[in-house]
Amino acid sequence: MPASQDALWYKDAVIYQVHVRTFYDSNGDGIGDFRGLAQKLDYLQDLGVTAIWLMPFFPSPLRDDGYDIADYRTVHPSYGTLDDFKLFLEAAHQRNIKVIIELVLNHTSDQHAWFQESRKSKDNPKRDWYVWSDTDTRYKGTRIIFIDTEMSNWAWDPVSKEYYWHRFFSHQPDLNYDNPALREEMWDVTKFWLDMGVDAFRLDAVPYLVEREGTNCENLPETHAVIKDLRKRMDEHYPERMLLAEANQWPSDLRPYFGDGDEFNMAFHFPLMPRMFMGLKLEDRKPITEILQQTPAIPESCQWCIFLRNHDELTLEMVTDMERDYMYDEYAKDKSMRLNLGIRRRLAPLLDNDRRRIELMNGMLMSLPGTPIVYYGDEIGMGDNVNLGDRNGVRTPMQWDGGWNGGFSSADPEMVYSPLMLNPVYGFQALNVQSQKRFDHSLLSWMKRLIKVRKSTPVFGRGSIEFLYPANHRVLAYVRQLGRETVLIVNNLSSSAQAVELDLKRYKGNVLIEMFGRNLFPRIGDLPYLLTMGPYEFFWFRLRRI
Amino acid sequence: MWQIIVNELTQATRDIVHSVARFLPRLLVMLVIVVVGWVIAYVLRSILRSILRVTKFDKLSEDAGASQLLKKAALPASSELLSRFVFWIAWLGFILVGISVLGVAGFQEQIPRFFAFLPRLFIALFVFFFGLLASSFFSRAALLASVNANLPSPKILSLTIRTVIILFSVSVGVEALGIGEDTMLLAFAIVFGSLMLGLALAFGLGGQELARRYLENRFAQPKNDGRDDDLSPL
Amino acid sequence: MVEESILTDDFLRELINVGEVDLLVGLDTFNDAKTVGNVMQAVRAGLLRYFPRLRTVVVNADGGSRDGTQELVRAASISDMRHVSNLSSLRTLHCISTQYSRESSGGGLHTILAAADLLRASSLVVISPESTNMEPEWVERLVRPVAKENYDLITPIYRRHKFDALLVRTLLYPMTRAMYGKRLREPIPTDFAFSGRLATQFLAQEPTPSDVGRMGAELQLSLSAMSGDFRVGQSFLGTRERIEHGAAELVPAMRRTVGVLFASLENFAVWSAVKESQPVPTIGVEHEVNLEPLRVNRKRLHQMFATGVAELDPVLRSILYDTTLAELKALALQPEEEFVFPNELWATTVYEFAASHHQAVISRDHVIQALAPLYRGKALAFVLENRDASGVEIEKNVEAICLSFESLKPYLLEMWETGK
Repeated sequence: MPASQDALWYKDAVIYQVHVRTFYDSNGDGIGDFRGLAQKLDYLQDLGVTAIWLMPFFPSPLRDDGYDIADYRTVHPSYGTLDDFKLFLEAAHQRNIKVIIELVLNHTSDQHAWFQESRKSKDNPKRDWYVWSDTDTRYKGTRIIFIDTEMSNWAWDPVSKEYYWHRFFSHQPDLNYDNPALREEMWDVTKFWLDMGVDAFRLDAVPYLVEREGTNCENLPETHAVIKDLRKRMDEHYPERMLLAEANQWPSDLRPYFGDGDEFNMAFHFPLMPRMFMGLKLEDRKPITEILQQTPAIPESCQWCIFLRNHDELTLEMVTDMERDYMYDEYAKDKSMRLNLGIRRRLAPLLDNDRRRIELMNGMLMSLPGTPIVYYGDEIGMGDNVNLGDRNGVRTPMQWDGGWNGGFSSADPEMVYSPLMLNPVYGFQALNVQSQKRFDHSLLSWMKRLIKVRKSTPVFGRGSIEFLYPANHRVLAYVRQLGRETVLIVNNLSSSAQAVELDLKRYKGNVLIEMFGRNLFPRIGDLPYLLTMGPYEFFWFRLRRI
Repeated sequence: MWQIIVNELTQATRDIVHSVARFLPRLLVMLVIVVVGWVIAYVLRSILRSILRVTKFDKLSEDAGASQLLKKAALPASSELLSRFVFWIAWLGFILVGISVLGVAGFQEQIPRFFAFLPRLFIALFVFFFGLLASSFFSRAALLASVNANLPSPKILSLTIRTVIILFSVSVGVEALGIGEDTMLLAFAIVFGSLMLGLALAFGLGGQELARRYLENRFAQPKNDGRDDDLSPL
Repeated sequence: MVEESILTDDFLRELINVGEVDLLVGLDTFNDAKTVGNVMQAVRAGLLRYFPRLRTVVVNADGGSRDGTQELVRAASISDMRHVSNLSSLRTLHCISTQYSRESSGGGLHTILAAADLLRASSLVVISPESTNMEPEWVERLVRPVAKENYDLITPIYRRHKFDALLVRTLLYPMTRAMYGKRLREPIPTDFAFSGRLATQFLAQEPTPSDVGRMGAELQLSLSAMSGDFRVGQSFLGTRERIEHGAAELVPAMRRTVGVLFASLENFAVWSAVKESQPVPTIGVEHEVNLEPLRVNRKRLHQMFATGVAELDPVLRSILYDTTLAELKALALQPEEEFVFPNELWATTVYEFAASHHQAVISRDHVIQALAPLYRGKALAFVLENRDASGVEIEKNVEAICLSFESLKPYLLEMWETGK
């Protein structure tokens, strides 16, 4: 059952992204599971998040961290049973926490029963559920996404002696959405979870659903049609659910995915994220304001999803070559950190574990327009392990306390699905939930306060945004407004103290009330409003006319 | 009879002695004034000399060309000359005051007139000197400017300017002195006016071409008729 | 320390908004609206192409333009407020402008230096607003040695027409070289780069006399660098277009350059001790010359020289020794085709002028003006001597002039105090 009656709940949400495998192991096998996750729901409720986005937990050979799905209708045995999941779902709803799960529409694992069928022969009934070809020259010019590991979008199947299309790893054959039977089957899958009570789906790799010759096989109108159809059916039978698009595209190319409010409810704003990091290093707000200026308006019921980091690399696809070189030179001097046109590091290491910068970035995340996503572990400032292959360095076990396996699992350390962080700075002995809970000044406590202030007003989730352009380019300032509620946010992107004069003539007569301490700041008069800010400092002011 | 002569002589002698007796103190006062006056004049001269040295008056007069004139006349340097002049005027003033004390009739009326004359003398000298300065400077400036602008007859222009300025300062100076003021002024007006008229006629009639070309060069865009290129120095 | 009072409140506010920079580009303008637009385009392109990651600011010190020069400079700024299409820039580029009083000492350069001091710029580059054929590469060629190779001063070398900038080649370069010991081809540069270190030191010195004017400060800066413990170099930039000058422009140019050079000699201790000149490290080519044929009005040069010598006789008499003047008079009698102005005589003449300038035998400005016709004579001689010369030969001839100046330096020292 859905937890609340608000159809636009996702606009006010604070989402916590987590993989059940990494969170908490309840049965001592070294792998996190749903029972464990359910046990930790109190922690999440205490943190203040209102939705959990679960990474794929379906049965899978786990060659792509679960995005290679072998069965859509059950839970991977390592994480528990379907009943365990249902219990978890209910427990979450009891705490007013929504649950968002993954739905990988574009492809399955080559271990999926469908593919096993499909590849048996060219006449198999499920043959057409995938995209086959006798040559590997079709859809030429389509870019390769995992450029560090794949050479082509076609793979040769020795069993049925044909090529099959895969936009991702070669063990993830693409499903064929031109086949009506396949589409019905996918709707059935969706219904399965909706009936169970899942609140929302993150649809992975949407731009690539449909292929057509002579195109780049991305964002095709046919793809949009598939989604619209899905949304229509969902709205009919399951109101107040949500569809979230994962599409690493320019904002103007993403706009079509919102349709007229009849396609996706939310989409990730990918290009903003690297620019936030760039602005911080350059100490110049220009990259941030420019990308938001270029972001198109979206339908009233829709919302952007913004984030600082996630389970993937910090992608640098949507930046210019000069910008990418700059980001590499500044954030990933060690070449082993670079992967697939991105940087595979967690938030805290990227920011040199500088508490002020971590706070500033989270402050911007919570105040820029969109629904913020917190990646598990970033709320306590977890580190990464670059020596683990692919992107596994940012998927280490959650650090709960300084004890056995960091409180993650009672199993032998060698059995834990991934090595724990051990170094003196990011290791679990130093950095864990329990020790941070004890202190008011810990990052965890600070994040709780931040989320609390964010939730105290709907203006952050639903309000408009207007940038102020103070002459001091190191200060990013904007005004959020919803009805009569007006909030002024000022961020100092520089490592040194700054003085900034803001043109607040329009708001003359308002008193500024700083939102964390609730102290009064001077009233806005005729003169430009002067603020002096410490390094990486930010202010949230509520404007009140008294 | 003898008695009358002796009485007269005695009386006359007594009168003379009385006169002398009355005169002597005045003489004494006069001498005192003269001496004091000398001292004050000397002090004034020293002060003036220092002031002139500090303000580099000699250099100024060199610029004016006054120094060269003085050298030719075998006179000492301008600052020295000026200091000495001031000394003499000051002392002369005191001497006159002393003489007036003597009570010599006829002199009394002349003295105030002398003192009234002094300021005018100073003004006149002042005007002469600076007129000389200006004439030298401006005539040289005109010479250089016209040579560098490639105007014809730069010397004549320079001389003209020098003459005009000198004439002008002479007439102003003479007017200040009060010597035949009207005559001088009139004479200057006539000379200056006719000179200007002559020049205007000469320029107007004979120098049309030149004037036109000069104006063109100054105010119009240079025509590049490709015949010759000018070198640019930098 | 910096004379903060030369910066207005508004300008100071703009500096606060700019913050610390790595590179400061200075522009000293006065009614340059015709050319400054193109110069700014080239500067901006150069910055974006070669130094995209440096924090940069363009500071325009303007002497009171009324033709919109300042607005043109400001319009070149790049920020998120002003969307400049087709321009991919990592950073904001501030282009700020302020006015300075032309009567103030040092003028525009001092304002630029003060701004650089406050913004802690580690490299500075000054560009002339008249460099119309400037290319983005000039920025790289000037700045890179300072920013990356630890030079303190980089003066330019241009590829010019063989008869261009003769005042520099026959007088300024030889004399500066002889006086101060460094072979800078452009001792009074209009496009040059220098380090923050040199800027700070220069600012800390005594303010220059106010009659030094716009170019005076540049020469002072060069001299500071040459005489101090600084690494000086020159960098080849590119072709410098011939700027059309009328005959009337020579005297103001000489005032700004020769006048300033002579005035700098007042600092006797600095130049009197220098015995010989040293070459200066050069980046890029040094001796490229444009050998296109050019029609020069030789007749007029000859006539102005001869007239000058004749008509200025009373003035020259107070400046030059009798022997020198007699030799010049003899020269004036030469027919134009055979006109030759020996280097020794030229150096002697210039030195006597310098000494007279120092003693102020007549007004100093008049001394400079009197030199103009004589320079014309030397220019004529140069043109005649080099009319068919190759680049190498021209270079040899210029070197000969320099050697004359250097060898006759003791003569100047002798004359300095004794005078005529």
